[in-house]
Amino acid sequence: MPTRRRRESVLTYAVVGPFALVLAFPFYWMLWTALKTDGDLYNTENNPFGFAQGSPTLDNVRFLFEQTDYLRWLGNTALVGAVVVLITLAIALPAGYALARLSGRWGQSLGVGIFLVYLVPPTLLFLPLSRLIAELGLQDSLWALVLVYPSFTIPFATWLLMGFFKTIPRELEDAALVDGASRIRSLLHVVFPISLPGILTVVIFSFSLCVNEFVYALAFITQSSSKTISTGIYTELIRGDVFFWGALMAATLIPSIPLALLYNTFLDRFIAGFTGGAFR
Amino acid sequence: MTDVNDVHESTPEEDVEIETTRRELIRRAGVGIAVIATAGMGAKTAVAGAPKYTGRELKETLRIVQWSHFVPAYDKWFDNVYVKRWGAANDTEVIVDHINVNDIPARAAAEVAAQSGHDLFFFLSPPAAYEDQVIDHKEIVQAVTRKRGKIGDLAFRSTYNPRTKKYFAFSDNYVPDPANYRTDLWGEVGIKPTSWDNVLRAAPKLKAMGNPVGIGMSNELDSNMALMALMMCFGGFIQNDKNRVVLNSKGTREALKFAKALYEQGMSNEIFAWTPASNNQAMVAGRLSFAMNAISITRTAELVNPDLANKIELLPIPAGPNGRIGLEHVMGCYVIWKFAKNKRLAKKFLADLETKYIGAFENSKFYNFPSWPNSVSNITRRLERDPVAKPAAKYKVLGEIAEKYTKNVGYPGTSNAGIDEMFNKFLIPQMFAEVAQGKRTPDDAARTYDRQIREIFQKWRDLGKV
Repeated sequence: MPTRRRRESVLTYAVVGPFALVLAFPFYWMLWTALKTDGDLYNTENNPFGFAQGSPTLDNVRFLFEQTDYLRWLGNTALVGAVVVLITLAIALPAGYALARLSGRWGQSLGVGIFLVYLVPPTLLFLPLSRLIAELGLQDSLWALVLVYPSFTIPFATWLLMGFFKTIPRELEDAALVDGASRIRSLLHVVFPISLPGILTVVIFSFSLCVNEFVYALAFITQSSSKTISTGIYTELIRGDVFFWGALMAATLIPSIPLALLYNTFLDRFIAGFTGGAFR
Repeated sequence: MTDVNDVHESTPEEDVEIETTRRELIRRAGVGIAVIATAGMGAKTAVAGAPKYTGRELKETLRIVQWSHFVPAYDKWFDNVYVKRWGAANDTEVIVDHINVNDIPARAAAEVAAQSGHDLFFFLSPPAAYEDQVIDHKEIVQAVTRKRGKIGDLAFRSTYNPRTKKYFAFSDNYVPDPANYRTDLWGEVGIKPTSWDNVLRAAPKLKAMGNPVGIGMSNELDSNMALMALMMCFGGFIQNDKNRVVLNSKGTREALKFAKALYEQGMSNEIFAWTPASNNQAMVAGRLSFAMNAISITRTAELVNPDLANKIELLPIPAGPNGRIGLEHVMGCYVIWKFAKNKRLAKKFLADLETKYIGAFENSKFYNFPSWPNSVSNITRRLERDPVAKPAAKYKVLGEIAEKYTKNVGYPGTSNAGIDEMFNKFLIPQMFAEVAQGKRTPDDAARTYDRQIREIFQKWRDLGKV
């Protein structure tokens, strides 16, 4: 038995190991590049996996924090992400529940319809939305993003939560109702706690979508102090023909670390959230 | 990655602990989010809001959007010195926003769609397609002309529409486009890239040495400029001096045949996937032996690899059977939208900037050449005295290139809306790439793309713009 277990373990690592290496390599490369001087980086005679010509150095990180608005972009991104997540939850939770409990073809069709909205690309929408943002006087304001981002987080979150709510036995709610709980109370105390994996998935995924979003952030915001990570880095660290590779890598590595940790901390719940409605 | 695996391999006992930690994490994250969100509620723009002017409230506001200049010192000078000084003198708070070169079209489209945005919008090529959205910039041209004499022919042909008799943009600068070549490598081959014939002769040897020639054939700015210039050296033009499409010509076919031979013998297939930065990176990494680009290559090399920088020399575009005809690398064009809120100050800002262009010329490290030749005196002497150049006076040749070999996109005609659309659709690089890859013959490509460009021109002709 132990031999069989060991064999299975070896097999698992043999399959997962290469994937892990491939997926980890970009992070390793980002870290190494962030610690290199330009001279070291551009000299093809140097060993790319080692350090030379003044490397390793923290100059790139220092440049990022001292010469750019990087901290502010991080703060802006966190603010937009947090508010959008709250809005998304406030709307997608009741919407997903209602759709899950709507029996018949209507519920299914509405669910699919809402998900299709998620598929409309921002490159099509940013022009008409520009007009809307201008009319509302929100140009160059983070609130423009707070207003627009839920247009893609809510459909996805609703669709995901709908699938998840379907896996929760209706009998649990009925029992709560029989015990005298109101519909809202049964939702808050029975349905939502059981749905925590789904809710966490929505939180993490919606936040990631906000961090990654580019087109709206580019179209609606040009003021450096109001930029988010995705456009701030791209604008300030790529100048015409010249890429500031070290600072670019440091700037992308830093926010990816907490996100990666967050994903991994809740990995099992994240998978449960995504697959919650998959087998129904 | 160790942390990741540790989490996956945890025992049930450890899970209990992790469970507790997760709760704590969620609680803390919730508090953090609440703090951040609350802190941001009051500010209009950001966590801490946009910095406010601390002194007296300035009377007016002028908003400018332009690219992040490849020379960071230029942006520092422009944003913190020039603009501040100009703002103080004109009782105006000037806000300068910077965007990436590749995002200019999307941002312009967004501002036009919203009919709202900056007072001054900076393009890197003549934005003739936006003619209906902008004011006539004639007044500014006249103001500068009164002080600095005649506008340069390049700027005039790039910003004036003879059909509508309107200046659809105001050009403050242009950027000469020299050939960059490695003296050590070409020295070994014993040839100098003074003609395209020489380039083709040397290319196979250079490629064999591991240092191919690099002329992009991709949907990007540098490919556009280099290939259109190469075409002109062979007698191929997109339009004639009356702005009629003449792409399907013997000259174009000859240029296509040449480019195919050059690709097959002396280049690598990476050129089909290049971005504007690719030739810089490959040259500065010591891989390329030849590239057509502005001085961003040598300026970057001076910073990151001075030894290599000393081996990169500049020359005018190689001569072809039709002579030596080059293009600007970048045509800096400001526009004032019709919907701009502060047109009066925007006009004054541009006129003042161009009238005293010496600061821009020097802080851009000779990247920005003035659109009015008299706006900077003794350009040649200034180029000769560049303190960083090795060999000395390396940049002197830029003066010759600017004066003799720098034409507008669409030469011998003017830069117009048809040219603008064709330029932004990267039709010329696509035509060259298809021939180089053997997807079309030179005859077929010239005929096909001639037809496509004629259709574009016809559309704009019908709109009365060409």
